Amino acid sequence: MIDAFGPFLALRYLWRRPIMLLGILGVTFAVWALLVVDGVFTGFVSEIRSDVRRSTADILVTDLPHETAYEPLREVIESDPAVTLSAPRLRHHGLMRARLQRDGGLMTSPVNFEGMTMDSGYALLLGIDPLREPEVTELEAWIERAPAAIRHGYHVDPPGSTALDESDPERRGYLRVPDRAEWEARGRAGLQRPADVDDYRSQWPGFLAGWRRLPSMPLRPGDPVDLITARFRLEPDGSSRILTRRMPFAFAGYFATGHRLFDQGTILLPIETLRTLLGHDITDEASLDIITDVAVRLREGLSTTEIHACKQRLLEAVQALLPPGSPPCTVIDWQEQNSVFLRAIDQEHSMMQLVLLVVMLVAGFVIYAMLHLMVIQKVKDVGILAAVGGSPRGIGSIFLICGLVVGGIGALLGALSGWLSVHYLNDINDWVYATWKLSLFPRHLFDLPIIPVRLETDWIIQVASGALLLALVVAMLPARKAARMDPVNALSYE
Amino acid sequence: MNAPALSASNIHKHYRLGGRDIPVLRGVDLEVQPAEIVALLGASGAGKSTLLHVLGLLDPPTEGEVRYDGRPVQSLSIRERARLRHSHTGFVFQFYHLIPELTALQNVLLARMMNTSVLGFWRQRRQARDAATAILDRVGLGDRLHHRPTQLSGGERQRVAIARAMLAAPRVILADEPTGNLDSTTADEVIELMFELQRERRIAFVLVTHNEDLATRADRIIRLRDGVVID
Repeated sequence: MIDAFGPFLALRYLWRRPIMLLGILGVTFAVWALLVVDGVFTGFVSEIRSDVRRSTADILVTDLPHETAYEPLREVIESDPAVTLSAPRLRHHGLMRARLQRDGGLMTSPVNFEGMTMDSGYALLLGIDPLREPEVTELEAWIERAPAAIRHGYHVDPPGSTALDESDPERRGYLRVPDRAEWEARGRAGLQRPADVDDYRSQWPGFLAGWRRLPSMPLRPGDPVDLITARFRLEPDGSSRILTRRMPFAFAGYFATGHRLFDQGTILLPIETLRTLLGHDITDEASLDIITDVAVRLREGLSTTEIHACKQRLLEAVQALLPPGSPPCTVIDWQEQNSVFLRAIDQEHSMMQLVLLVVMLVAGFVIYAMLHLMVIQKVKDVGILAAVGGSPRGIGSIFLICGLVVGGIGALLGALSGWLSVHYLNDINDWVYATWKLSLFPRHLFDLPIIPVRLETDWIIQVASGALLLALVVAMLPARKAARMDPVNALSYE
Repeated sequence: MNAPALSASNIHKHYRLGGRDIPVLRGVDLEVQPAEIVALLGASGAGKSTLLHVLGLLDPPTEGEVRYDGRPVQSLSIRERARLRHSHTGFVFQFYHLIPELTALQNVLLARMMNTSVLGFWRQRRQARDAATAILDRVGLGDRLHHRPTQLSGGERQRVAIARAMLAAPRVILADEPTGNLDSTTADEVIELMFELQRERRIAFVLVTHNEDLATRADRIIRLRDGVVID
């Protein structure tokens, strides 16, 4: 039970001490900062996670041995009750060399083997089956998103891609561009072509590039690009040779998953063509349909436990098909496929929260300092209250309540202002930009049309409760000091 | 015969100072009957205020026993002693000791808020306010209810302190040189008021004073010297 004089005096002490506003402001600011900064960060993280998710298959079977064929794996994978469909993947590294026509001459983009940067033409070549891939990932959506991303990011109007619009499975399977586009591109590149477009049939397989390649490689559909791969070959005498292969491709369009790393470094090309590039003769009946990974689409609405069980089943089924003594393959979900990246984001999120918690601790220290000062100023009052019949607990409660009120008002104002700031963040940013030409959050840096914000109710409750708890804890020390004061000494205190 | 409103037997009180034991009270015996006025006379340092603090349970004796209405109180818990201090005794100090943030009315009302829950006080807030207003009116401060201590004269402040001590209807009022900080005219007025209230409410008074004239108005005088009752 709290004696009535506790809250009565606490409120009057606070009312007569405007300096306590400093404590309220401190808590308000700390709560506001925790909500707004975390709201924006959570928004970004959520956006990034959804981008990463969009670029990734539900499950990937990977770490397969060299010369693993797809067809036997497909049968066991797709027989799993949790699996809808699978698609083969073949990963390799390569270089792009675009033949660009400038000022009437034929140019090639510089290739830098040492730098291996994006501008040097380095690319992660991802061989896909264009007929199966759209059923497993959002390939069609990636292509549809590209024009908007390019318009927003580079302020140019890009050509659309028709790579998946082909009705002929043969043409679609090789991502071929329309005959006319390739015929015109040949003309631009100064390559031989029939005089009449109707006499021309596209000859090059197509490839799709991540939209972030546009600045270093501004291409139009049909533009010829050489893809070069290299691999080691072990000679009979034990030495090894580097074999390089080059193949002409036609640029078939850009894609945009939203996942920056994927969009920067990946080139999508027909898996059959990549197999050829790697030296496999696909016309040979005995040739293996080699893969490095299998992308898997799961049924909708599976729980985490069900997904985990499915991964385990696939792991066992696939491993059983591999040659004896093969190293263990891996079956990973979309988060595990990007675990380093996602862990890094989570780590940054935690670090940011930790830094903001320090702001909260500073606010707590301000409350402590002010209450401590108040106890020293009110020593005589402590003696008076004891003489009038106040119990030590009741006397201590005055300062505890002061802390709670300061923390409570601060938490409430902070939560309210934080919620409003997050809710109207984009409006505030627009207004600040329109008024002072200041951009609080430069959206172009993140290729985002709006500042993504996400404020969870749970987080608001946690932060506000934390602030209140902190105020209570820091108020305990001054309250204890007041409660333990000797009333006789307090009465004679000057 | 009824038990004394307040009694103390063989009260010793020592303080430790610089590693030395300083005896302030040395075997004091005292009885205060209901509605009796007892004056405690003595020079500075004789132990008058210390005895008052021991009697008011603000300071525990090193040795000896204090009884309220014949009931020993030393063994009670801190909270029970606080409750008893509130209901059985009232303090009036030389320097008034009012809470500066509160008005006269709020300072008096404070006595009603002790040992009462927030809800309990809320339920009886009107009666409490009426009682505090009535007693402030009785001490002549009916028109000064909402003034803070800094807006009141010394005499008015002491009247507020007296009203606060009286509000809980205690059995004994312990007054520590209540006129020591007032001019003689105001002091006389305050003393007259205290004695009037004492007669009206049949409250026992223990009055610490240096003033021989004032002491002679008490029913009984106890003289202290060096912590010992000498008369």
